[in-house]
Amino acid sequence: MTYDVIVVGAGLAGLTAALRLAEHDRRVLVIAKGVGATHLAPSAIDVLGYAEDKRVESPQSALAGFVGSHPGHPYAYVSAESIAEALDWMSKSVPELGYQGRLDENWLLPTAVGVPKPSALVPETMVAGDLRRGGRFVFVGLSGLKDFHASYLADNLAHAELPARVSTRFVELDPPHGRSADPGSVGFARRFDDQQFRDWIVQALAGRLEADETVGFPAVLGLEKAGEVWRDLEHRLEHRVFEVPLLPPSAPGMRLYGALTAALRRAGARIVIGDSVSAGGSEDGRVAAVSAQGASRPVMYRASSFVLATGGFASGGLVLDSHGKVRETVFGLPVAGMPEAGKPLFSSRYLDAQPLSHAGLAVDAHLRPVDKDGQVVHENVYAAGAILAGAVPWREHSGNGISLSTGYAAAAAILKQAAAVSSTAAGD
Amino acid sequence: MPPRTLKLLASTARSIQTEVLVIGGGSTGSGVARDAAMRGFSTVLVERRDLADGTTGRFHGLLHSGGRYAVKDPSAAIECINENRILRKIAPDCIEDTGGFFVATPWDDPAFGDRFLAGCRSTGVPVQEVSVDKALRREPRLHPGIKRAFSVPDAAIDPWKLVWSNVRSAQEHRARVLTYHRVLSLDVAGGKVVGAVLRDERSGEEISVHAEVVVNAAGAWAGQIAAFAGCEVPVLPGKGVMIAMNHRLVQTVLNRCKMPGDGDIIVPIRTTCVIGTTDVHITDPDQTEITKNEVDFMLDEGEKLVPGFRQARALHAWAGVRPLFQETHAKDIDTRDVTRSHALLDHEKRDGVGGFVTITGGKTTTYRLMAEVAVDTVCEQLGVQRPCRTAKEPLPGSERRATYQLGARLGAREPLPQDEEIICECELVTRSHLEAAIARRETDSIDDIRRLLRVGMGPCQGGFCIYRATALLHGDRHLDYATTNRALLEFLQERWKGLHPILFGDQLRQTRLDDWIFQGLLDVQHLPK
Repeated sequence: MTYDVIVVGAGLAGLTAALRLAEHDRRVLVIAKGVGATHLAPSAIDVLGYAEDKRVESPQSALAGFVGSHPGHPYAYVSAESIAEALDWMSKSVPELGYQGRLDENWLLPTAVGVPKPSALVPETMVAGDLRRGGRFVFVGLSGLKDFHASYLADNLAHAELPARVSTRFVELDPPHGRSADPGSVGFARRFDDQQFRDWIVQALAGRLEADETVGFPAVLGLEKAGEVWRDLEHRLEHRVFEVPLLPPSAPGMRLYGALTAALRRAGARIVIGDSVSAGGSEDGRVAAVSAQGASRPVMYRASSFVLATGGFASGGLVLDSHGKVRETVFGLPVAGMPEAGKPLFSSRYLDAQPLSHAGLAVDAHLRPVDKDGQVVHENVYAAGAILAGAVPWREHSGNGISLSTGYAAAAAILKQAAAVSSTAAGD
Repeated sequence: MPPRTLKLLASTARSIQTEVLVIGGGSTGSGVARDAAMRGFSTVLVERRDLADGTTGRFHGLLHSGGRYAVKDPSAAIECINENRILRKIAPDCIEDTGGFFVATPWDDPAFGDRFLAGCRSTGVPVQEVSVDKALRREPRLHPGIKRAFSVPDAAIDPWKLVWSNVRSAQEHRARVLTYHRVLSLDVAGGKVVGAVLRDERSGEEISVHAEVVVNAAGAWAGQIAAFAGCEVPVLPGKGVMIAMNHRLVQTVLNRCKMPGDGDIIVPIRTTCVIGTTDVHITDPDQTEITKNEVDFMLDEGEKLVPGFRQARALHAWAGVRPLFQETHAKDIDTRDVTRSHALLDHEKRDGVGGFVTITGGKTTTYRLMAEVAVDTVCEQLGVQRPCRTAKEPLPGSERRATYQLGARLGAREPLPQDEEIICECELVTRSHLEAAIARRETDSIDDIRRLLRVGMGPCQGGFCIYRATALLHGDRHLDYATTNRALLEFLQERWKGLHPILFGDQLRQTRLDDWIFQGLLDVQHLPK
C-alpha cells in the first residue's frame, strides 16, 4: 500500500507529525519498533526550563537569546510563534488531558525529589502543584509504592529556592494490598481507577488535611479515567489535588500516548508497533519505501514523504559502536555534532556537560537532514524530535517541547511542500 | 542505657588498648584480623574507607588454580593451589565453582601447552587436556580457532562476601573493626611501634590506639604506612583495568594459554563476566583513571577469546591497584620473603623497629596464607606460640560447605509469596534486605550498601533503585535533606567513574535513560545543598 506520509517512530514527535498530517486528510502510517518515550516521561510539555544554568520564567522571552547562543539547536528551526501554535494545538487535540499553560510563562512543579521544575504546558492533574505563589502543600505517600517517597520530597521542597514561601509536610497511608505486593506505579494507577479504592483513600485522609492545604499525590491517579479520578478526589477531599511525576513507566505519559493514538485512529491513520524499520530503496534523491521487519518476512511500505522520529541514543534512533562511530539506524543519515576525532566523548564528572550529548541530525530550514556540506540528503525525508542535533533536553528541560514543535513543524513543511507542488502543477 | 548508645560511647572513646592493630580492610587485613582474633589476641582492624574498598573490591574475582603461574612462578602456583583447596573448604559460600580453561587461541603458540602441562604437573595443579570440540561444546562462544584447551580448578570468588565473612568471624572472636578511620601516624617509642593515631573520617575525632604489635596490611598503600615508622617499604602500585560485561558470555573462567599478560582472563561472576587486566605502574595508588586505549585494548583482547566481544554490552569498568613489592633494602638478607608471591617484613629484624610487621604483595587467592604468616610473626614478636586455625574453621555463612550457585538469590526468593517491594530489580534486592543493610551498616553512603547488597550493580546501573535507596536512607536514618542529597550525588559520580570509559551500544542507551531520569525527571542537579 502507498501512503502520503510514513512516520517512523511513535513518540511525541512522531505522533504529533502524524496527527497533524492526518487532520489534513493525508494517508498516514506510523510505524515503530515500540512505544516511544511518552511512556517514560511525565506528560507535561517542557519547552525551555533552564538556559545557561538559570531557571527560565518565560520561554517566550528566553527563546531568542537561547537560540542566539545555541546555533544549530532544534529551536533555531521553529519560531516562537510556531511553538506557541503547537502548544495551543496540543491542548485542543487531546482535550481529555485538560492541558493548561502558555509559552510566555513556566509553571513550577515539584519533582519526586522535591526540586521545583519549570514546565510550559501541563495536564490538569498537575496544575495545582504550581509552586510560584507559595502555599501549604501536603504530600501523600502510599505504602507499597516504591517510586514515591513523600517525606524526602517534602524535606527537599521545604528547602528549595522559590519565589514565594512554601510549607510542606507529608502523610503516609497504608492502603489495603491488592493482589500484588509490588504493583508499581501502573498497578497503583489502575487501582485508583476503581471507585472503592478511592473511597478508602478519601476516608483515610479524613481529618488529616489542614485548611488551605494543596494535596500532592504520586502520579498514579488513574490510567483509564484520569480526569474523572482527579476531579472526584478534589471534590470529595475538598482540597486542590495534583500529581507528582514518578520514575518510568509513567501513568500520565501512558494517558498521553493513549489520547494521541486514539485521535490518530479517529483521523484515519494506521499505526504499526513492533517492527524494525530500515531504508527500502531510493530514487533520484528521494526515498521510495521503507522495509519493516516484524515477526515474519520484511514488508515494504511506500510513501511520498517520510518523517524520521526515532529518537536519539536513548530510543535507538542513534547507535554508538565500541570504536566511537555513530550510526543513524533507519536511513544511515550523516550524524552531526560529534566531538572531533580523538577528543573524548564524555567528561569524567557526571553533572558536567558531556561532549557527545549534542550529536544528532543537522537539518535544513524544512527539517530535512543535511550532510556535512549542508546539502539535503533526501528531498522527501524530514526529521523531528530527539534525533535532532544540538540539544541537551534533559538539562535544558526542553525534550517534549522539541518533540512537539519539530513534529508539528515537520508536518507543516510536508503540507507546504505538497501545496507548492500542486500549485506548480496547476500552473502547468 | 540503651545498647545503641553504649556502642556509640565505646566507639568514640579517645583511646583504645589492644594487643594487635591491623591496618587495612582488604582481604589480607581482614584475614589477619580473623587469624589474630582466633588465636586469642585482642585485635583492632582499621580501614580508611569501607571494607574491601581498595584492591580487594576491584579485581576480576578469579580464585586462582595456580595454572596462571605454573610456568612463570612455580612457587606462587603451589601456594595458589593449596589455598584454592583450603578456600573451597572454609569459604565455599563466597565461591562459584565455574572451573577454568586455558586455551591456545590462534594468537598463541600451541607448543606453550606442553610447558603449561609440565608446569601444572610439577606444581600439583590438577590439569587435564580436553579436546577442542569438547571445550567448544562447553563454551560455544569461545574462539572456534582454538588449538588446544586445558581444564583446571579455577573458580570465581566474591571479594565482598569474603571480606565480610572474615570480618564477621573476627568480630565473633571479639575483634573491633573501625571503618572510615584513617591512620594519621604511628607512635614509635624506644625503637618500637607502640600504637597509632587515627582520625574518624566522619566525625573528625582523633583516637589513639595503644598496640603491642601493628600489622601493616595496607596493600598498595603499605609503603605510606611503613613510612610513618621510618621504614622504607618499596611498593610499586600497578594499575589493572577490568571491564564487566553485562552477560555471562562464558560459564567457565577462560585464560589464554601463554605467559601471563594483559587482557587474557575472562571470569564469569554472578550475572556478568569480567575481563582483565592490565599492569601499568603508577605513582599514586589513589589515581586510577581509565584511558580509552586501555578499554580498547581490553575489548580487542576479548575478541581473541570470544569473537563478537565488542558487540556485547559493557556494563562497568574499574581499576584496581596491585601492590608489587620489590625489596631494595640493604639488609634484605634478613627479610623473611616467604615466596616471591608475597612479602612478609619483620621490621624488627629488617629495620630494627619492633612491634611492626608488614604483609603485602600477594593476591586474594592467598590472603589466608599471608594472614597466617603475618600472625605467626606477631606470635614470635610477642614470644608466644599459638597455632593458626583458619585453614580448618569455615567462615560464617559457609558452615553448610556448599558453594554459591548462580541464581541463589532468586532460588531463595521464589518459594516465598511476594509480600514486599523489590527495590533493585536487577539484583533482586527487596525492601527488607535493603533496610536491614542500612540498619546494620549504620552508614550514610549508598556505595557502602552497594558493596553489601550489589544494589546499582546490574544492567541499569542504579537508574531505578538509587532513587528508592536514597529515599529509604533518608527515612530510615533520619537524615537531613543535605546529607541525603550529598549521598545521592556522590553515588552518581562514583558510578559515572566506571561508566564513562565504556559507554557505547546498549549501555549508552541505558545511560541516556538514566540521565533522563536523574537530570530530566528528578532534576538532581538542582537539589538543595
